[in-house]
Amino acid sequence: MKKSLLALLSLSLFLTGCGITEGEGDGGGGSGGENTKLKIRFHVDSKSSEGIAYKKLVDSFNTEFSSQGIKVTASFVARTAGESAYERQLATDMLEGTLPDIITFDAPNCAAYAEAGYLYDFSSALSNAEKEQFITLNTYKGKVYGIPIQESSAGFYYNKALFAQAGIDVSNITVDNPWDFNTFKSACAKLASLDGITPVDMRLDATKDETATYLLYPFIYAAGGSFVDETGLIATGYFNSAESKRGFQFLKDLVTANYTNYGIGATDFFTGKVGMYLSSGWTIPDLDNKYPATFKDRGSWGLLPYPKDVKAASANGSWSFAIGNNARKDKSPVVKLLKYLTNAASSKTITDATKMIPANKNVETHYEANSPEDVLYQQLQKTSIARPSTVGYPQFSSAFSQVISGLREGDVSTLVDNKANVLQNNLNKL
Amino acid sequence: MTNRDLMRLEPNFTPCKKSTKKIVFSIIYYVIGATISLFFILPLLYMIAASTKSEQSIAFSNGTIMMFIPDFTDLGHFFTNYRVIFGDYDIWKYAINSLIYAAIVIVFNVIVNGLAGYVLAKFDFPAKGFFNFIILFLIVVPVETSIIPLYSIAKQMLGLRNNLSILAVILPSVISVFNIFLFTQFFSSIPKEYEEAMHIDGSSRVRIFFDLILPLSKPIVATTMVFTFIGVWNDYVWPMMVLPNTGDDSWPLYPIQAALTSIQSIEGITTGEIMASLVVTSLPIFVLYAAAQKYIVKGFGTAGLKM
Amino acid sequence: MIIVALLILLGLFVVFMGTFIVDIIKRIHSEKKYHVREIITGYMLLIPAVVLAFFFVVLPIFFSLGYAFTDFDLLHPNLSDIHYIGFENFIALIEEFKNHGEIYYSLRNTALFVVLVVPLQIGMALLLALFCNNKRPGTTIFKICFFAPVAISLSVTAFLWLVILSPNPNGIMNAILGNFGIDAQDFLGNKDTVILWMVVISAWQGCGYQMLIFLSALGNVRKDLYEAARVDGANVFQRFFTVTVPGLRPTFLYILITVFIGACRVMIQPMLLTGYQDRSMTLSYYIYTQGFTYRHVGYSCAVALMMTIIMGTITFVQRKLLGEKKK
Repeated sequence: MKKSLLALLSLSLFLTGCGITEGEGDGGGGSGGENTKLKIRFHVDSKSSEGIAYKKLVDSFNTEFSSQGIKVTASFVARTAGESAYERQLATDMLEGTLPDIITFDAPNCAAYAEAGYLYDFSSALSNAEKEQFITLNTYKGKVYGIPIQESSAGFYYNKALFAQAGIDVSNITVDNPWDFNTFKSACAKLASLDGITPVDMRLDATKDETATYLLYPFIYAAGGSFVDETGLIATGYFNSAESKRGFQFLKDLVTANYTNYGIGATDFFTGKVGMYLSSGWTIPDLDNKYPATFKDRGSWGLLPYPKDVKAASANGSWSFAIGNNARKDKSPVVKLLKYLTNAASSKTITDATKMIPANKNVETHYEANSPEDVLYQQLQKTSIARPSTVGYPQFSSAFSQVISGLREGDVSTLVDNKANVLQNNLNKL
Repeated sequence: MTNRDLMRLEPNFTPCKKSTKKIVFSIIYYVIGATISLFFILPLLYMIAASTKSEQSIAFSNGTIMMFIPDFTDLGHFFTNYRVIFGDYDIWKYAINSLIYAAIVIVFNVIVNGLAGYVLAKFDFPAKGFFNFIILFLIVVPVETSIIPLYSIAKQMLGLRNNLSILAVILPSVISVFNIFLFTQFFSSIPKEYEEAMHIDGSSRVRIFFDLILPLSKPIVATTMVFTFIGVWNDYVWPMMVLPNTGDDSWPLYPIQAALTSIQSIEGITTGEIMASLVVTSLPIFVLYAAAQKYIVKGFGTAGLKM
Repeated sequence: MIIVALLILLGLFVVFMGTFIVDIIKRIHSEKKYHVREIITGYMLLIPAVVLAFFFVVLPIFFSLGYAFTDFDLLHPNLSDIHYIGFENFIALIEEFKNHGEIYYSLRNTALFVVLVVPLQIGMALLLALFCNNKRPGTTIFKICFFAPVAISLSVTAFLWLVILSPNPNGIMNAILGNFGIDAQDFLGNKDTVILWMVVISAWQGCGYQMLIFLSALGNVRKDLYEAARVDGANVFQRFFTVTVPGLRPTFLYILITVFIGACRVMIQPMLLTGYQDRSMTLSYYIYTQGFTYRHVGYSCAVALMMTIIMGTITFVQRKLLGEKKK
């Protein structure tokens, strides 16, 4: 008995001692000059197409900048379950001084991470011209903290066969000339007349994570509403303003009229049982490749923009590059790396791999007019609006999800007032 | 002539009646048992069956009796899901991690808590009441109270980061006030004559613990080990908080349940693959339980669990 | 942080020394003496447990207690940003409860869950134990089947049941009900049924474990008591109530307390089954969300403290009502 215990003890010490993990020790010190070692951490699997693209960029940067003595080592840490875990990582990194020089973060967290001090303010490092080349920048309190790696948007995928059957003509709907809430509803009504077809999948069941919030928040902006004030700390009067309620009411109307429901199967649109499917650009490859029985080519499906109300609004926001607020005093090599990763050429490399939309306007995108990619691109340029910038973003997302889930029953006005109070209550604790 | 032959001569003798009753009872017993068992294991059967199927096959068989039966018609696909999760998602690495963590925790858990239980049960010393009281108190306090400060203590105060993060996962699981309580109860029922015999032979207390108390307590030790294993194997919230992501090129540190939650969110994963990973995650526990089953039932037979 | 830890250690040590000295004094005049060697060995063997328990069990609890009176939030974790705010967190807690905020639903759902799951799970465990308490061949298979759900983790359980209870008409449960002409149900989306299903799922998952405990306790009831009762003419039911029930009493109390405590702490089920929603959020889930997701650590520790007090009081009452009478 004792011998085996001893063996186990030594085994555990051995494992601990032999350093299974590689601590990212060197994050600070070293000004520019010969041998500046930079560290960058990507949030994806290195074997994924996105990861491979990043690796390519890092390698070419190293080649190009070796004459300036800058070398980058990249680590790939797939963002596993939960923002909280990722955030704990950042906090621990700050604590231990192991924050990489360039990190990535999900856009809505900009305010919180900036406030917590994980991000370095590089507003002064970019000229106005340089700032202009991006569709959006991540800012907080007027300062720039992040540059989107790529952009994402969403829209209504639709089944052309079903639309034809229902007699719906969408040939003149473009991003410049979108449909509105009423036309949208009448299209749904026509689809509802088809037997066994659900008009639209509004993704109401996706409230367990950020998906529902991401896809549905533009409706509130479209109705002229908003969520919080500029400080990001007041929700009452914004989240439950009359305009915001109008936006939520639209969604509720769709539920009441049974145009959408909470029990639509994840693959129902792909098997031809649903007329329209609200989803992000991630769905394009699925439609192109995975469901030949229903969608054999692009003649059988299309993408419609978000309907407008008082104004046109669509979704945006994905992951961004940021400069880690670590101990390194001279940020100039880091800025060089940042600019390299976000220039037009790099942007193209990344989006060629991920099929998302480049965040850099200078990238030549040859999208066929009115193709799904084109619709998304136009939306991003013309109508997209970011999710609210607030330190209390998780509180907001939660409140929003709860409203969506609560549309099942009861009155929209009371529901929204209720949740606005809950949100305000939580924001007050900060 | 035996008594039996004499009995047979009796006109009213019907030997079948008594055993028919027994047979009927038995049948009813087994039918009820089987029905109840179904309720408990049907979801698991579904899990196993779905793990062998492709996405279409699952959608097809949902709602029919076929959903509980693995897809033997599509034999080509039978093990595909498993191949994918082992090959592409490296699930075996996480399984090994969990095994290592569990093994280390179990051994030290029994030693540390067992020794404490032994001392509290068998030793006579001042301030014993102090410890007993604290134990009873600590059992009630829920762990949610402590999880955030525990994080700060482990990471900041004790500095268990990077290479030492594994300790942050293992150490808190090694100490279990509840187990100390169980051990104390069980050891109290061991007659002290056994100890005295060994004492007279000149054994040290420690020797007595390992060579006498533990072997005599096989049931409770086995039980504790099994349930500690289950606890460590199934834990994922805490490991996800304290273990760093090591990135792709080095061996991952996460235990299997943590990997499970992230596997579920990988783009394009099919239900079948998720089910396969669930099966793999649950299998070791079944095996462990089946093997230790005998001991576990005995384990709780302490002379009245006094609260 | 270290300073506070040292102070806590000091406090505990003082109390410890107090009891130590008192015990020694008590023994001075009695016949039974302490053996120094025993004392030293005893404490030496206790050291690993005490050290680990101090850092990983005791200290976090005290810290949490401390945080409950501050405005500690995760975005500003440095000591200089933490301020003592007295009972503000508790006042906010009560206010939120009065306004039917999230904490109101957390408490309500948790209470409902506990009240339903404790009898159900213990009842099922006892019935199954009684059912299996015989030597018939094949009973072992039944025992394994009943225990099977315990072996799978809560996240696996949740995922499995999500698939089973899918609101889609083609979901498993709906498909089965459809065969009987019942409309598709949104089991987890409907606020009237979600807690019921959480109860069923939890009881399904956990009762095998308590069944084992009951089984071994049943095995320990003295057989001669049953014989005596049978001789006295008691039938099956009477034997159950006069012999089995009293024999199971300490075990029952133990199971009651452990199932109760476990039920109070339910968090994973709502997290994975429905996400953070009014109809299903529980106290533990609320504490976790407030602390980790929303980053209000101070407030969440205050709620946790309140939860501990409530749970502790109820446990104490349970012990008093059902425990062994002191001689």
